[in-house]
Amino acid sequence: MNHYTLAEMQPGLTESFTVTVTRQMMDQFLAITGDCSPIHVDADYARERGYPGCVVYGMLGASFFSTLAGVYLPGEHCLLHGVECKFARPIFVGDTLTITGKVIHVSEAVAEAEIKATITNQDGKQVTRGIIKAGLAR
Amino acid sequence: MTEQAILEAVQDIFRDNFDDDSLVITRDTCADDIEDWDSLEQINLLTAIEKKFQIKFKLADVRGLKNVGDLLDLVKRMVG
Repeated sequence: MNHYTLAEMQPGLTESFTVTVTRQMMDQFLAITGDCSPIHVDADYARERGYPGCVVYGMLGASFFSTLAGVYLPGEHCLLHGVECKFARPIFVGDTLTITGKVIHVSEAVAEAEIKATITNQDGKQVTRGIIKAGLAR
Repeated sequence: MTEQAILEAVQDIFRDNFDDDSLVITRDTCADDIEDWDSLEQINLLTAIEKKFQIKFKLADVRGLKNVGDLLDLVKRMVG
C-alpha cells in the first residue's frame, strides 16, 4: 500500500502492478454482478463469435483501476471521483495484465489528481485505457 | 484577455461538462440553476478551467465562489 499525499502527487509520477486473470475471478464477477451474457460465460458461444474462449468482462479489467488508485497511486489517501475507460481489445482468462497509472494533472484547490491509466496484456498490447480522477484527503 | 472571451471559453467548458450544447451561462448563473452542478461537478469545472487557462487555483480562491461572475472575475485576475 502506497501513501502518496496531495503534495507528492506530481505530474509524471507513475506506478504499476501485474495480475493474471483467472476463471475464479470470472465466476466471482458473475456472482456479484449477475452479468450472464454468453460471451462471458459460454466458451462455445464465444468461439462461434470468433474468440478463442470466453471474453473477460471489460468491467472486471477496469476494476483493477480501483486497485491502481486505492493501493498504488495515490494509495491510502484516495477517494475515487470518477473513471472513464475504453475497452480497446478483449481480455481472456489466463492473460497477465500490467496496470499502469501516470499522474497528468493535479489541482491543489480541489485536492484532485488526474491519472492516465492503461492496461496492457502479456503481448504488450493495450487492452484498456482510462482517465482516473482521484480525490485525496487533505 | 477580455471578460467576454473568458466567458465564452468557460461556457464551452460548462457545455462539455454538463453534456448540453445549448447551455447558456451568465454572470448570475449559480449551482441552483443547473441541476447537475453538484460538488463533484464543481471539481470537474475548476480542474477543466485550470487546464484551459493554464492557471492554478488556491483553496482560498475557490472557497467563496457564489456564481459564474465570481468565477470569471477570479480567472480574469489570474490571466490578466
